Amino acid sequence: MKRRDTELLSAYLDGELKPSDSTKLEARLKTDPELASVLNDIRATRALLRKLPSRKAPRNFTLTRKMVGQNPPLPRTYPIFRLATVVATLLFFFTIGINSFGTQMASQNTAFGIGGSGGGGDSESLAADSQVMESAPAEPAAPAPAEEPAAEPEAYADTYEAPPTDLAAPTDDMLRIMETPSSKNGEAENAVEAEQVQARQEAPRIVSSSWQVVLAIVALLSALLMGLMRQLSARRWK
Amino acid sequence: MNEEALITDAQGGDLDAFNTLVLHYQDTVFNAALRIMGDEFFAADAAQEAFISAFKAIKSFRGGSFKGWLMRIVTNACYDELRRKKRRPTTPLEPETEDGEEMSSPRWLADPSMTPSQQAEADELEHAIQHCIENLPLEFKTVVVMTDLQGLNYAEVASAVSVPLGTVKSRLARARLRLRECLRSFEELLPASYRLEDGMNAS
Repeated sequence: MKRRDTELLSAYLDGELKPSDSTKLEARLKTDPELASVLNDIRATRALLRKLPSRKAPRNFTLTRKMVGQNPPLPRTYPIFRLATVVATLLFFFTIGINSFGTQMASQNTAFGIGGSGGGGDSESLAADSQVMESAPAEPAAPAPAEEPAAEPEAYADTYEAPPTDLAAPTDDMLRIMETPSSKNGEAENAVEAEQVQARQEAPRIVSSSWQVVLAIVALLSALLMGLMRQLSARRWK
Repeated sequence: MNEEALITDAQGGDLDAFNTLVLHYQDTVFNAALRIMGDEFFAADAAQEAFISAFKAIKSFRGGSFKGWLMRIVTNACYDELRRKKRRPTTPLEPETEDGEEMSSPRWLADPSMTPSQQAEADELEHAIQHCIENLPLEFKTVVVMTDLQGLNYAEVASAVSVPLGTVKSRLARARLRLRECLRSFEELLPASYRLEDGMNAS
């Protein structure tokens, strides 16, 4: 028996042959007993298979929401609260950061004498430096290589003009600090430190603490409401 | 049951609508899995997996035979389950020879110690047929189960197993021939009206 004939017989039984092919096969079956015998066998096999009893499912295969990873539907306002929580939390930490940065900057300014009464000291020391540099080339003991770099500060000193404002004029306090002998250095350091602490205390807060409290309350309330919404949705879903 | 409406609702994420479809098709899906797997527990697992996969993929269903579409999914679930079974082999139910090797064609159903009178005729016949189906190569088994047990037409089977129509025709014919040979060894169990003819040496 050719494989092609078996396929024809099988498809013929299933009604999957074209009408023309069916007619041809039927004509062959009338004259070929072997072909007819195979057809009967396939027919019997097919009937046996179709006779197999259908078993009942041992349990229900219905799906639960957990099985398919479905979450309870949340209220439409939920994303608004989520956004509010995120924004308020970010802003809260941002304000803390920005305020501490402001305080740090204020204390640094005091330490380096930038701004305020400390500015005079700078210009004074710069003027003193330029005077020293001017006198440097006149010293005979100075080694030759040292003379060349001295030319540059000289030029600098020439071009430098002391500010006409009172910044150039040293205050009494500053003069006292500069002229203080080494035994008085401790007192001077204490004075600077006290000034730094005072500056830190007096440093203006960029964002007021009341705003920080408001942001913290908003973040906490939104988070609480979100939790409540989730619980209610889960309970309603069940 | 309005199948189309239920499918549309399920595509929109309605699990209750999908579960109505599950209740309608669960016996069909379980039977297909059972005939392919040959084991009730593995078949139940495969059927459950098939329904989960079906729900996740239901948006991809573009009309046509929903049963055929489900059959494709259950076939894939069975293949996965069989692969898992291969990785974690269990004790075979098939009897072994004296050398400890599995018998290629066990005749435990025709064992003289188990006379047909001791078992219901229907059960014996079912076991015999199931045994013969299990001895088929997987691709033949799938086609036979879908066509002769689930009543799908060739086009639906071709779509379900993703092979050309001609391949379905060829596999089915060869599977039926093999089944015929296998069932011949259980001739005494077959009802008189289903007895296969003798002298099939021509094939």
